Amino acid sequence: MKRIKVQRAGAVIPTASMADIAFLLIIFFMLTTSFSPVKMSVDLAEATTWEEVEKDAAIIAIDTKGTIEVSDGIAPGTVINTMDELDMFTKEVIATDPTKQFIIKADRNIPYQAFNAVYERLRSNNCRRIALLTEAKQAPVVR
Amino acid sequence: MAIRIRNRIPADIPTASMADIAFLLIIFFMLTSVFSSNFGLQYGLPKNEDPVNVQPLESIHVHITGVGQYTVDRRPATLPQIAGYIDEKLKQNPKKPVIVQTEPDVPYSATIEILDMCKQLRVENISIPTSSEVEMWRAFTGGVAK
Repeated sequence: MKRIKVQRAGAVIPTASMADIAFLLIIFFMLTTSFSPVKMSVDLAEATTWEEVEKDAAIIAIDTKGTIEVSDGIAPGTVINTMDELDMFTKEVIATDPTKQFIIKADRNIPYQAFNAVYERLRSNNCRRIALLTEAKQAPVVR
Repeated sequence: MAIRIRNRIPADIPTASMADIAFLLIIFFMLTSVFSSNFGLQYGLPKNEDPVNVQPLESIHVHITGVGQYTVDRRPATLPQIAGYIDEKLKQNPKKPVIVQTEPDVPYSATIEILDMCKQLRVENISIPTSSEVEMWRAFTGGVAK
């Protein structure tokens, strides 16, 4: 009698769809995350009330050393050294789009006068829409 | 004559390493990207054509004099007291403006704290005077910024 040889299938984990899942994740991250043109790292003040600011708004970042970095919302941020440069920047942005929103991304620990210096320039250059960037206040821990 | 059957190797593209590459890309993006915060406190200013003159006497004046030190209409108060005071005034006049003045050496977060409180109380008119405006008031009121 002839013996029938049963062909056994090898035990394999199908990994073909793994790449699809990973690429879907990449696409999801790429579409949902927005990158800030200003790379300055600041510790934002906390607030409980939030309003969404415009994604293409001009950004003015101020850190604890008093360094000011500006971006029109599209081009990468540039560090400015004098308030006259800030004037020039705001005038250029306003000339392009008079309704442009300006976001002040200031460190929570800067003295008020550092914020005021920028705020005063924005006011004098007819910037009408200003947003102060904040982060969510942490809920108190219940023990 | 017996037909010789050839064992053909199936033609497939090896995709096993594709997942590794994709996950490496994800990790790279996650580590190198700087995420932007898109939330904040909106502060709209009136247009030049229709200026709103906020009269100090008709408004609520919150003065941040130091860290955790506040006065509301010249009276020292704590944050909950200020909130209660503003809330009471808003019941009488919902359009009552609130002027938030901060001393130059006080941390910026103190201003945000007050602005956040005003937003929570649904204050419609918030005014943040510049230092030059405060100086003008001081000159106008004879050395005392209301």
